[in-house]
Amino acid sequence: MGRVIVITSGKGGVGKTTTTANVGTALAMLGKKVVLVDTDIGLRNLDVVLGLENRIVYDIVDAVRGNCRLKQALIKDKRLENLYLLPAAQTKDKTAVTTEQMVELCEKLKEEFDYVVIDCPAGIEHGFKNAIAGAEQAIVVTTPEVSAVRDADRIIGLLEAAGITEPKLIINRIRTNMVRTGDMMGVDDILDILAIGLLGIVPDDDAIVISTNRGEPTVFDDNSRPGRAFRNIARRIEGEDVPLMNLEEKQGFFGRLKHMLKAD
Amino acid sequence: MRNFWPAAISNRPTMLYEKSLRSGQNIDFDGNVVILGDVNPGAEIVASGHILVMGSLRGLVHAGATGEEGATVTALHFAPTQLRIASHITRPPEDGNEDISNKPAETARIKNDAVVIEKYEAPK
Repeated sequence: MGRVIVITSGKGGVGKTTTTANVGTALAMLGKKVVLVDTDIGLRNLDVVLGLENRIVYDIVDAVRGNCRLKQALIKDKRLENLYLLPAAQTKDKTAVTTEQMVELCEKLKEEFDYVVIDCPAGIEHGFKNAIAGAEQAIVVTTPEVSAVRDADRIIGLLEAAGITEPKLIINRIRTNMVRTGDMMGVDDILDILAIGLLGIVPDDDAIVISTNRGEPTVFDDNSRPGRAFRNIARRIEGEDVPLMNLEEKQGFFGRLKHMLKAD
Repeated sequence: MRNFWPAAISNRPTMLYEKSLRSGQNIDFDGNVVILGDVNPGAEIVASGHILVMGSLRGLVHAGATGEEGATVTALHFAPTQLRIASHITRPPEDGNEDISNKPAETARIKNDAVVIEKYEAPK
């Protein structure tokens, strides 16, 4: 029996889809059989981020309504044998799937896969309720912004009310130099408010923009800092004890000089 | 009258859509479909007959959806996410980041049981 994990945030644009794609891919790189489920019906993105958009024939709505067999709707990743995507429908809306259907779907998927990773839509309405319906565990993604942290807090409350206790936190798009100057919330500030277990911190990096536009998760890139952060997160999900990575940006000679001058 | 399309298909009703089709919008029509605009990624057209896009085709189209192998897809700029004619499904090659802005109009049809995309030529 596999684990069903929902990746959620409340607020939009904080990196749920990027996190789903990268954590899922990293788990598959560790040899696990993984399926990524896009529940953002009507605004699907996960297929684009994974570069699988042009392979979609059937989607989650077809699968739950029995228009096709579940296996027919699963798209095998083009790089990894043991990674699959169940895409959302684009021309329908969130009400096309019921919570009961989602529970049943997750039950079926976890018989086949080690990990069922669910990409949740933004918001707290029907789409959110569907996404968490079949999940046993949750990862909450936030960014170091007051609004994102506020929404994450609301989401943690809703998850607990739905019986998903002990969600884990990923803090995305941290910029160490801004934290140092006091212009950005730090990890400790966020943990103070949310008071849940920290699964990982992911630095803000241009590599994400490039990999998203190319449809290639950044975990494949050995030199990518966020890629390394996501691979570490996957190992922690697997139960390994991996220390948080040092986020200090490498500074060139001029960067160091500038820093010294500022300090004076 | 000149016989432009194979008769059985071209005699069907034709829908003229005078706007672009955006992501999430779809047309499902028993007949031919003409779009005066673009078809963006994430948009979908399913037609039992031909599909003609007077703009950029970047979304998903399915011509001859009820099994009509003689159906065709024509677009001024031809770059669909996925292309289906009758029971055939094709997608562009993986390295497909080519610039479509200077390409001529193209037509896709089934020839020898495969989908073939050729430069559009006005029928003689």
